[in-house]
Amino acid sequence: MFVQAVLVFLIAMLGYGTYALGSSLIHRPIVMCALMGVVLGDPVAGIQLGAALELIWLGSMAVGASNPPDMVAGSIFGSAYVIQAGGDAGAAVALAIPIAIFVQMLWNTIMAVIVPLVAARADVYAEECNDRGIEAMHWAGTFIPFVILSALDTFGFVVGVGAVQGIMDAVPAFVIDGLNIAMGIIPAIGFALVARMIVSKKTICFLFLGFLLVAAGGMNLVSVTVAALILAAILGLNIQTTAVATEAVDDDNEF
Amino acid sequence: MTTSSNDMPKATETDTEMGAETAMTETKKITDKELRQMFWRSCMLDSSWNFERQQNLCYSYAMVPVVRKLHEQGSEKMKRAYARGLDFMAITPQLSTLLMGINAAMEEENANNEDFDDTSIAAVKTSLMGPLAGIGDSLIAGTLRVIATGIAIGFSQQGSFLGPLLLLLVFNIPAFAIRWFGLKWGYKQGSSFVPTAAESGIMEKVTYLASVVGLMAIGGMVASYVALDLSGVMIGSGDFATPLSEYFDMIMPCLPQLFAFGLMYWAIGKKMKSTTLLMLTIVVCIAICGLAALL
Repeated sequence: MFVQAVLVFLIAMLGYGTYALGSSLIHRPIVMCALMGVVLGDPVAGIQLGAALELIWLGSMAVGASNPPDMVAGSIFGSAYVIQAGGDAGAAVALAIPIAIFVQMLWNTIMAVIVPLVAARADVYAEECNDRGIEAMHWAGTFIPFVILSALDTFGFVVGVGAVQGIMDAVPAFVIDGLNIAMGIIPAIGFALVARMIVSKKTICFLFLGFLLVAAGGMNLVSVTVAALILAAILGLNIQTTAVATEAVDDDNEF
Repeated sequence: MTTSSNDMPKATETDTEMGAETAMTETKKITDKELRQMFWRSCMLDSSWNFERQQNLCYSYAMVPVVRKLHEQGSEKMKRAYARGLDFMAITPQLSTLLMGINAAMEEENANNEDFDDTSIAAVKTSLMGPLAGIGDSLIAGTLRVIATGIAIGFSQQGSFLGPLLLLLVFNIPAFAIRWFGLKWGYKQGSSFVPTAAESGIMEKVTYLASVVGLMAIGGMVASYVALDLSGVMIGSGDFATPLSEYFDMIMPCLPQLFAFGLMYWAIGKKMKSTTLLMLTIVVCIAICGLAALL
């Protein structure tokens, strides 16, 4: 148990560390749950739960000043519940969602109160031309939240799962059924959010094309992506797109 | 503790005469070493994020090698350069290096030209930050991430290690390439980047083509990963009872999924928050199952 707790702490550090490692998506449930699966002895269950949680949080991403739910905490608790307590994926999702929101609130508090104090210190060092000081403040701003949150996740992992199990056992069957159905529909929220981000009147037709290729054409997503890349190449290399055409009047380096 | 920089090279070796416009004897220039340092340091951009000035701590951290190399220790220019680094910053991490490169090129001009108006650096930073964040969010978080996720989830659902592996590879290989070449490009173009990019319309074109790929992937994912099984709902009674899903399949497969997506798309357009929508979906599903259990 102690070794497991240490490993969970390291996974959490790695998860939060994604922001120090090129924002490289290590914190996403697909990766976090797989690592938790390895540590808890059931990689396959971990990876599969990762897919389920990823679909739930597909629309969750840091855009501007809005921070998504803390997927690291959600993934750790979800995996522990499924693998250690033999829980159901639907229930794990229902557990992971509020936990991720709660931990994010704490994280937001740290980023709103503690890190700005660190930044104010960096201002003083800038005034003194103290480059080492500025660098040290950046490292402090990095490690303070990561260590606090990782410790919290580990603590929750050690005491939490057993306590939650009793409550979850008492939940009636229809609630679990409802959660499982909801789990199938919730990804649509994420897709809608992402589509809203990149869509325009001119481009919405491509969404339906992608849908049709899978729904009626039976293609898998790798093929759809390749088809989309080819289509983009056709549009980009052979057809003067209207977006560019409007500005191309005084532009002679286009072709 | 006013000075702690002990490895400040006192304008030595690498300086080459490059037609200095000032009376100074040598031109101050940053080298590949500083560019590499900026690249690695930029990887931490979101790590010291705060609500007050967002990514300012890491942005200044990434600019430290450049400022240290270009400005005289303790000079007014250095002070102002460090303070500038700590200004508000909000940009997509993978595109941040483009701005850092431009900033570095302008900082170089600033160091070599006595009359350089350094407020133009802050002006360029502020004016580019917004558009770059907009493009970056839709290009990186909205498109590249979604495509990588779409490919990975299929493998993960089957419990294969290829899931996590492909997610990281498909996302990070282009993401790090953008990060590195963005830095090189930004540094090369310097402050002339702004008019050039606007004239050629290349940003619009890239955004448009990326959105084509992203939207097709999203469309495919709606059909693949949204699940709404209506085979339990019977239409008619007795021997003539047919699952509702069969009627839908006759029209087109995956129609309920598309309907669910359309509903969410519409709700988000009505400014409904995604968390509210999520909770609402859970409550409605549980309520329906509760009613079905009662009947």
